[in-house]
Amino acid sequence: MRVIVRTVSELCITVGTLIVLFVVHLLFWTGVRADAAMGDQIDRLHAQWSRGSDRARAAAAPARYAPGRPFAIMYIPRLGATWHKPVLEGTGAGTLKKGLGHYAGTARLGRRGNFAVAGHRRTYGDPFEDFPQLRPGDAVVLTDGSTWFTYRIDKGPHRTVPTDVGVIDPVPRDSGYRRPGRYLTLTTCDPEWGHSHRLIVWAHLDSTRPVEAGEPGALRR
Amino acid sequence: MYGWIWRHLPGNAWVKALLSLLLVLAVVCVLFQYVFPWAEPLLPFNDVTVDNQ
Repeated sequence: MRVIVRTVSELCITVGTLIVLFVVHLLFWTGVRADAAMGDQIDRLHAQWSRGSDRARAAAAPARYAPGRPFAIMYIPRLGATWHKPVLEGTGAGTLKKGLGHYAGTARLGRRGNFAVAGHRRTYGDPFEDFPQLRPGDAVVLTDGSTWFTYRIDKGPHRTVPTDVGVIDPVPRDSGYRRPGRYLTLTTCDPEWGHSHRLIVWAHLDSTRPVEAGEPGALRR
Repeated sequence: MYGWIWRHLPGNAWVKALLSLLLVLAVVCVLFQYVFPWAEPLLPFNDVTVDNQ
């Protein structure tokens, strides 16, 4: 009898400890790892951008981004004055641990079509934690090292189901856009800790300026 | 289970305590490095994309 009681209680304590450790892992450790990884990606971009002339590199830019590699930095003032994250090519689980993921097959940054990006709402640094606070008119600024791209949000956050792939079409469904243009779509999960739905915002390219001209107005305070 | 481990650790109480601490650290390390990353995709926090699956 004593042996049974002891074994069961030890088991309960073990399971409880495991659960607590797992929550620590999710809430804290994935964030620590992701922040380090994102910082790393941004350092890599800056190192890459400081090599060679911007003009020459822009001219030599390949037609596709290299999968799993960073190619731009995103700034969204609404999510915080210091909020900036690397954008990597692809939306695989491993890629999204290191930054935001660009849907392969959607338009390149600043080009005609729809530049679509996904990011974690929770865990792995919580990049899109405050996604629901985004409002029409908010700026989404990106740089690829040679140009600043300022997008303005037109619609969202729009709640939809995970299979609604039309939201990242070149002319996104439900976005209110009627004709082809230079659009941006951001996606994340909803509810915060669930996966039953997705939150979407859409933006259009408002302005561009070369990096030599300095930060765009949307980033100045 | 824990009593059994304690009895089978060598040395006096201090050595046993130190060894247990090391064991605990080793287990936590393995959990964080291998077990949790494996278990994590089974939970619903990772799906942030729209796709056809």
